Amino acid sequence: MKKSMLGVIDATMLPGEMGELAIHRSPAAIPFAGRYRLIDFVLSNMVNSGIQSVAIFPRSPYRSLMDHLGSGKDWDLNRKRDGLFFLPSPTKEGQFNRMSEHLDYFNRSDQKYVVVSNCTTVANMDFAPVLDRFIKQNCDILEITHKGEPTYIYLLSLELLLDLIEQRNETGYESVQSVVEDASSSLTKCQYEFEGFLKRIKTVDDYYQTSMQLLEKEKWSELFNEFQPIYTKVKDEPPTNYLAGSHVTNAMIANGCVISGEVNHSIVFRAVNIGKNSIVKNSIIMQKSKIGEDCTLEYVIIDKDVSVENGAVLRGTPEQPLVIKKGSVESAVTSS
Amino acid sequence: MAKQKCVAMLLAGGKGSRLKELTENLAKPAVPFGGKYRIIDFPLSNCANSGIHTVGVLTQYQPLVLNSYIGIGSAWDLDRKNGGVTVLPPYSESSEVKWYSGTASAIYQNLNYIKQYDPEYVLILSGDHIYKMNYDNMLDYHIEKQADVTISVIEVPWDEASRFGIMNTDDQYNVTRFDEKPEKPESNLASMGIYIFKWSVLQKYLEMDESNPDSSNDFGKDVIPAMLADELKLIAYPFKGYWKDVGTVKSLWEANMDLLDADQDLNLFEYSWRIYSVNPNQPPQIIGTTAEVKHSLVNEGCIIDGAIEQSVMFQGVEVEEGAVLKECVVMPNARIGRGSFLERAIVMNDLEIPENTVIRNESKEILLVTEEFLMQHTDQHTKVEEA
Repeated sequence: MKKSMLGVIDATMLPGEMGELAIHRSPAAIPFAGRYRLIDFVLSNMVNSGIQSVAIFPRSPYRSLMDHLGSGKDWDLNRKRDGLFFLPSPTKEGQFNRMSEHLDYFNRSDQKYVVVSNCTTVANMDFAPVLDRFIKQNCDILEITHKGEPTYIYLLSLELLLDLIEQRNETGYESVQSVVEDASSSLTKCQYEFEGFLKRIKTVDDYYQTSMQLLEKEKWSELFNEFQPIYTKVKDEPPTNYLAGSHVTNAMIANGCVISGEVNHSIVFRAVNIGKNSIVKNSIIMQKSKIGEDCTLEYVIIDKDVSVENGAVLRGTPEQPLVIKKGSVESAVTSS
Repeated sequence: MAKQKCVAMLLAGGKGSRLKELTENLAKPAVPFGGKYRIIDFPLSNCANSGIHTVGVLTQYQPLVLNSYIGIGSAWDLDRKNGGVTVLPPYSESSEVKWYSGTASAIYQNLNYIKQYDPEYVLILSGDHIYKMNYDNMLDYHIEKQADVTISVIEVPWDEASRFGIMNTDDQYNVTRFDEKPEKPESNLASMGIYIFKWSVLQKYLEMDESNPDSSNDFGKDVIPAMLADELKLIAYPFKGYWKDVGTVKSLWEANMDLLDADQDLNLFEYSWRIYSVNPNQPPQIIGTTAEVKHSLVNEGCIIDGAIEQSVMFQGVEVEEGAVLKECVVMPNARIGRGSFLERAIVMNDLEIPENTVIRNESKEILLVTEEFLMQHTDQHTKVEEA
């Protein structure tokens, strides 16, 4: 039973309001929660639910996403049979159009059901009980909801998915979502209400607010537990070094950091340096960024590989956190 | 099998009895170190970083944890089509099971493993030390000096020299004599237990050693002295840098504390010489609102709400609010209860320290806090003083 699901992750979401966080990367590859990328959550959920064959449909630019996923080894998806499939498509529009270019993948699969998901939902979810419900209620398409709202994660039979792809021109449906949203459709639609922590990240504000919520222990422990771990690309960073003079409270800190300054109510990704007498508050600092000495950062999202030079002051607001682009250099002069 | 220039043989069967309960269920090379590593990560990472991709790991004592940790070697990028990591446990021959009776016999019994790669050189390593070293540089030195054997040595303080195997050399580093733990050392060059042998020479001497019933089958005690007696070219390779035997509870604790010392030269943050390990895959560490983290190393999966100072926290450790740790090493997944106090101690993995457990350490020793230790100190207020 468990082996009988395929996973499809539609990673063709447009950057939209993800702004500068998605300039050089697919929204699926946006770093999140200290050491993950957004796609890690749905991908790990699939793996933890016993799904052994996952197809990712990406949209360019997808270098960052491909680099992250590699052979799928870190999700235990480097398999002789099944495993991880990366299926880019020259067709840009229409989920079914894109899938139609990779019918071989679906035709070669002997799984009976398919989970079709978006790529930016942050949750820790087991699809096995979802499939049980699907079978028990004789559904054609099941939609997972959260607090009654759609999550854009669906379960249907592979047979129906293939029919929908084949008949897309006659029916006018271009995606599973459009089928579900068509009230006139004769298919049996069910819903499954997911009760844990779930957020779908669509905007910079979603990104910031959801990140900060993870500093609350209850929310954190709804997302992370040892039985359904969230997998990600392994880096071999050493433990984080808190040097004399550092002062850290209420923070989520990844490995490989060297911290000399003050960090409060913030998220710090892997291999970040925070220099002496610097203050980081209500901020998110992504991997490998360097914060010099005597800096002040408040309500800032610092992307990867940013260098903040000594004495720089960067401030956003709770409503509009300041986003610093990947790889940029912020000096004391440009920031004041 | 394709030919390999150099094959490494890593002796990882040691019990490490002076590590007490730490090695009750696992071999010394599998003992956790430095917040996320095991001791064997250091020689294995050194091999990978030195471009030596054929490594036989000889296991014997309590191999379960070690074997499953090594797996197929992918954590160190040593899962190779040709070569890679091979775990070599003792095995039975038609007539008898042969345990590894000494370091030399362990290699002797795996001569067939080495033969299949037809190497020119064999590198012998042990899984007992913390250090970063480029074995390829040592191999270049060995080739340049046209030595039969090269032995890596490090200068140790004269007053400690009698604890080591000491190499006496001439001014060209030619080894003239080997003294195992000499009472009156005449040199302070200690053997690091790292040897490069010309394969043909090693094979010959291992066969000779095995047929000698009086031999204890040990490299330091038997094979090296036999080679010296036959006037082979043995040369010392002087190593400079951090190197520490972590064979006792105290030295293990000291080596962990060394990581917090900015002046010592074991840099775990060096990108070009990463120390690899099997990733525990836990979420980032959470430092709570009531936490105070001072001068410490903290690994992923930790939840710190108490105060830690000068301490090393392995993955998944929880320190509850009001708990205070000073100069402690806390092994994976241990939990320190609310209001507890511990100092100068190593806390065993998965141990739960009950609330308000106060263990003051006024001795010079390092406490190994285990289930048993806690039972012996049930009043929860313990002061360990100098005996």
